[in-house]
Amino acid sequence: MWNKVRKIICLALLVVLTISFMSEVILAAGITSEDSKEDVVTSTGEETSEETKREEEGASQDDEAVGKVDKSQWVTLKDYDLVAESESYRMYLYSPRLSIILENKETGEIIESTLSDEKDDGTSNKTWNGYMKSGLVINAIIGTTNTYQVDLLTTENTIELSYTDNGFSAQVYFPSYGFGLTVNVALEGNELVVGVPSESIVENTEGTYISTISLYPFMGYTYMDEEDGYMLIPDGNGALIYLDDKEGRFNSGFSQPIYGNDIGFVDSGITRLLWDMYDTVRKPNDVIAPVFGMIHSNKEIGYLGIVEEGDKRASIEAHPNGATVNYNRIFAKFMIRDIFVQPLNNSNTGTVTSVERNRTDMDMQVRYILVDGDSADYAGLAVEYRNYLLENNLVELKDISYNTRVDFLGADREEWLIFKKAVTMTTTDNIKEIYSELEDEGIESLISVYKGWQKGGLYDLPIKKYKADKSIGGTKDLTDLIKEAEEKDYNLYLYNDALRINPAETNSTFNVVKRVNKRTYIEKVYKEVYKEFEFLTPARTNKLLSNFVSSYTDEGVDNLAIAGISNNLFSYSYQSNYYTRYDSGDDYTGLISSMYEKTDLLLEQPYSYLWNYTDGFLDMPLSSSSYMTVDEEVPFLSMVLKGIIPMYSEYVNFEANQKEYFLRMVEAGVYPSFYITYENSSALVYTNSADLYSSEYSAYKDTIVEYDREFRKLASLLDGAYIVDHEKGDDGVTRVTYDNGIAIYVNYADSDASVDGMKIPAMSYKIGDAR
Amino acid sequence: MKQRKWTIKIVAIFLLAVLLSSLVPSVATAKTPYKTFTIDGYGNVNETQTSYLPHKTITKFGDESFSGPSDMHVTKDGEIYIADTENARIVVGNLEGELIKTIGEGDLITPKGVFVTDDKHVYVADRDAGAVYEFDPEGELLNTYTKPNNPLYGERLDFLPLKVVVNDAGIMFIVAESNTNGIVEISPLEGGSFLGYFGTNFASADLMTIIYRTILTDEQRGKMVSNVPSTPDNLAIDDKGLIYTVTRGDKENTLKKLNIAGTNLLGKTEYDRIPAAVAPGNHDNIYVASQQGYIYEYNGEGDLLYVFGGLDDGTQRVGLSTLVSAIQVDLEDRIYVLDTDKAQIQVYEPTEFTNLLHQALYLYSNGRYTESKEPLTEILKMNSMFNYANQAIGRAYFQEENYELALSYAKLANDEEGYSDAFWEIRNLWLQENIVKLVGIVIGIWLVKKALKLIDDKKNIFSGYRRLKAKLGENEIISNLKYAKHYMYHPIDGSYGIARQNRASYIAPTIIVVIFAIEFIIDKYLRGFLQKTVPEGRYEVLSDLGMIAIVIFAITVCHYLVCTINEGEGTVKKIYTFLAYSLMPYILFVPIRFVLTHVLTLNEQFLITMITFLMVGWVIVIGVIGIKEVNNYTPKETFKVICLTIFTILIMALILFVLYVLWAQVFGFITEVIGEVVYRIVE
Repeated sequence: MWNKVRKIICLALLVVLTISFMSEVILAAGITSEDSKEDVVTSTGEETSEETKREEEGASQDDEAVGKVDKSQWVTLKDYDLVAESESYRMYLYSPRLSIILENKETGEIIESTLSDEKDDGTSNKTWNGYMKSGLVINAIIGTTNTYQVDLLTTENTIELSYTDNGFSAQVYFPSYGFGLTVNVALEGNELVVGVPSESIVENTEGTYISTISLYPFMGYTYMDEEDGYMLIPDGNGALIYLDDKEGRFNSGFSQPIYGNDIGFVDSGITRLLWDMYDTVRKPNDVIAPVFGMIHSNKEIGYLGIVEEGDKRASIEAHPNGATVNYNRIFAKFMIRDIFVQPLNNSNTGTVTSVERNRTDMDMQVRYILVDGDSADYAGLAVEYRNYLLENNLVELKDISYNTRVDFLGADREEWLIFKKAVTMTTTDNIKEIYSELEDEGIESLISVYKGWQKGGLYDLPIKKYKADKSIGGTKDLTDLIKEAEEKDYNLYLYNDALRINPAETNSTFNVVKRVNKRTYIEKVYKEVYKEFEFLTPARTNKLLSNFVSSYTDEGVDNLAIAGISNNLFSYSYQSNYYTRYDSGDDYTGLISSMYEKTDLLLEQPYSYLWNYTDGFLDMPLSSSSYMTVDEEVPFLSMVLKGIIPMYSEYVNFEANQKEYFLRMVEAGVYPSFYITYENSSALVYTNSADLYSSEYSAYKDTIVEYDREFRKLASLLDGAYIVDHEKGDDGVTRVTYDNGIAIYVNYADSDASVDGMKIPAMSYKIGDAR
Repeated sequence: MKQRKWTIKIVAIFLLAVLLSSLVPSVATAKTPYKTFTIDGYGNVNETQTSYLPHKTITKFGDESFSGPSDMHVTKDGEIYIADTENARIVVGNLEGELIKTIGEGDLITPKGVFVTDDKHVYVADRDAGAVYEFDPEGELLNTYTKPNNPLYGERLDFLPLKVVVNDAGIMFIVAESNTNGIVEISPLEGGSFLGYFGTNFASADLMTIIYRTILTDEQRGKMVSNVPSTPDNLAIDDKGLIYTVTRGDKENTLKKLNIAGTNLLGKTEYDRIPAAVAPGNHDNIYVASQQGYIYEYNGEGDLLYVFGGLDDGTQRVGLSTLVSAIQVDLEDRIYVLDTDKAQIQVYEPTEFTNLLHQALYLYSNGRYTESKEPLTEILKMNSMFNYANQAIGRAYFQEENYELALSYAKLANDEEGYSDAFWEIRNLWLQENIVKLVGIVIGIWLVKKALKLIDDKKNIFSGYRRLKAKLGENEIISNLKYAKHYMYHPIDGSYGIARQNRASYIAPTIIVVIFAIEFIIDKYLRGFLQKTVPEGRYEVLSDLGMIAIVIFAITVCHYLVCTINEGEGTVKKIYTFLAYSLMPYILFVPIRFVLTHVLTLNEQFLITMITFLMVGWVIVIGVIGIKEVNNYTPKETFKVICLTIFTILIMALILFVLYVLWAQVFGFITEVIGEVVYRIVE
């Protein structure tokens, strides 16, 4: 009896389960397919570039070209009023469009700030026409749409103009949008200062806001290839876009936020991975300094634009002809309020678009330093920028004595059974050995950044106190090493990424950065052991870094290299408060400046507002991001900082063309850097540092010694001189002139060249006297 | 033959030039917008030195720009032929962007493929014209080859040529759209005679398809997606007349190198899902471009050397692509990539690193191992993890009889053959040195044992040990463990004991399971290099343990469930006991096998295979006997119960999966509701 019952129950169970399984599988399949559909919809909904949006808008509203204005109706210089005059320039204003014209009193050459009716080719639609001829262009948000263009031609507006000693102030109001602002323009000597004070912004209509503000987006524009010259963009070390005919090759130009993307808003957005796993595309360089330039070579006139205020939430826009319109133009665009996508669940299948609640409270100001004559080239702009930085105490002279930079990797981790195992690459004893060998080879001084020294290895982040990994020799050995080495002028700096937290090693429930949509920011690294990192809030960074530094300096050592917070800037939300890039920027600047007082500090690729707080510039980029629009790379930042801050290159190891890279360092006045391990780098293959594929000391020793000899000799000749000129000849020879009369000739060509009576061998350099 | 000699000469001269000038410098950007990856013998993908730099972008020849170009051919003297599809012509230019000529204007409709022979005859595959055109070097139309009227071609098949290559004899190999029979081979004789299909791909049929086909009716089968063989997407020909094809969907066989008989000379290769084009290089190497802009370089054996490039992420950077349709290599190893969408040619040039690699490839493939060590050492200095270099230098050291180094490099490169050979030599040397010692030790041990036994017989020195042994034997657990061994040799008797004589227990079997798990893990992760199935340094011990626990639990429980409704006599305890005891052969054999994996080479592999076979067979046999005897089944019933148990386990796994999916849905729904509520409240 019991057996039978058991049998029946079991059978029933089997049948029921089978049936339910079948139905569930079908159901589940249905659900997943729905999911994927929704995914597609949301992803296409996001992230269309603004330029395209405007285009679409324009297309739907008024696609036809408005045509050229009849000659009798042209607004010309005679319609302009002279509003200011300095020793070298006159400034004229056409108030309905807030258009200004700057006239060089000596040469008579002019710089226009908006498209003139004369140069209008008549091929643009109404929206673009308004954009090009207006001195002020605003993008407005209505509801959750941010594609409304507001300008002084197509939008109804009132302007209250008042004149000042050296310019004017225009209070602009757009009644149909219910917002307005004041534009201040002043001519100070050979500098034009254009700005919008934060307190002048009024937004009276609920739900209608200002999103972006572009001041004089056509300042110094040119039509097609009518002028020779170039635009200077702050990509990498510096890059030029020529003012030649682009033959319609580009439909967009350079558009990058100053100080990198804001991870609070923008997804890193990797769309395609090799074999679904590997990210093969490198991120473009961040914009390190808030500058841009325009040079009209044939007229020997141009300017350097410096974004003085509002730089932390602005982007540099440089568009060559063919990018929608036939004009070359470069400008800064300020963002005071943005929209973002708010997901409603964890799988991101439901989203709503939201508007940032408050606008960023920031003044906006661009300073145009006008150049003419011989100074009207990128070298002249570099000189101007250096003077500007020095005069305004934005950077002070540092000790620029020569050092070769030899960094070490201490330890990383790999998976081992159920634990993680230390992979030790360079111990303190190894470093001692390396140092004494290098000393024997005659290297007088060095700096080293020691990465992965901390307990738990390179990626056990954050570093909470001064405690070295056992596998590299322990804290005491490390302290002794730093002290001993310092005596022979070998300075070992401890590397500290003060931004990142490793959720696999440290509880990251609290004190981590959440994006504006209140989702924790996760940095995916596509690596072996640790796949994700998160960012600490600036407050937490402050606490941890301060603790670390006090425990470190208590030991009598104070060499510190800070990374992470030196080149990241973001908006974030934490505990229902919202913080802007200004908040995180201010926090980091405060923290780093106080660290600078307490320690000997090096910063990894610091953004310009931190340049004053570092004894050296680590990882100075030597190449651009290879944008298609870029025609030439120039070492602009190096020209600015040479003789002020010692600059160290990115690692030489990973360059495929090492000869060429050597010459680039010579040209830019940058000191060489190596990333060294004592063990063979193949030991790293299962760690997050697997991309460190070539670093063994024994393979690089000779190169280090050789480079040290060459660069030390060069540095002793230059001895703190500034770069005053930089020219590229047609023969592949670049001449860099210093203000102490020394010129360096670098020949990149694969054949010998003779310049200025000197023979420069192929792929080599020579030191000579400036003409 | 003459042709071949000439090519070798050219290659040799070029290599010499490379050696002398110590590599052509470049003034291109030092940092590329893409990373370069290589793959090691363990399948690890690692970043490596930039292999190729973007050199130049050609958007037009003279004033002639392209519109939807879909093929390209670069001749030995550097002329670039573009199939300018939407402009219905062939444009010829050079690296400087100068226009040389245009061909076929007026004749062509949609030129999709272009090929140029050494004597500058231009072949154009025109899809909409349904023809392959041959032009002479002056651009005059010589021949038109249309659809073959041979019945073997297939009467209802259209002839829509997409790509064409031509060998020295003038025979055309044509990839035609929607022709699944393979590459169309046409001889120029008699205005084009059809020779047959070349390099036919086979329709792949996986297990599920085969099962479906046997079960379904004809009607149902008709509704299935028809399982036709994939057609090559593109092809290329080298100087030796070998044909290279890429076929999407063929996975590891995406890239093929076919000899004249149509046999694939390559094994499995790393592949791209959307290959666009293939080109042979100058050093027996092969290049493949993916539509998404990834560029692969393989050596002659199909080992991946590099992959680089990528899809333009919207940042518009030089070297990233949008839609690649053709790839070519010139005599200076520059790579030309044609981007249909951007209507441009991106030229990449090799770096110092790549030039070294090519030099090593050349020397190594000619058997000049010792010479090849020089560039290989340079390469390893720049990247000590570069797999090809590790493998090649290992083999080179082997040739020089430096076996220790050969062994370590072979291990680094996961080169099993190289490792085995080197190990054999090392073992041989060791044996020669130590054979006397070994024999001495064995004799020594034997003597000591004899002596101890003699003394024991007289003085009884081991009495304490024997007493202890006897006492332990009375312990229930120990006795049960001993019984496990008994079960192994006498499964029928042993099962009777478990079923009837109260030999079932929990502790002893659990000890056996634990020993099994420990042995399993040690064996899996620490066995000899040649037998290892997991890559060095990878440990997933927790999941292994979990897996063992789940499998044993599932078998025990499901078997019990099935038994209860099939009048089996087993209880959970009994079933667990005999299952665990059935693992005894594994426990005894694995240590022996483990030791063997450390001393045997590939030549003696059969010993290990034999032990494994014996062990697994034994486990299964005593397991099945256990099922039969413990439950008191007939053989037929036993078979039925085994099948039912397997079925039940599958169902259980599926139920768990379904529950998981359902739970995830519920969870997602709840968080979504909460998320929306919170959002609305906050707003």
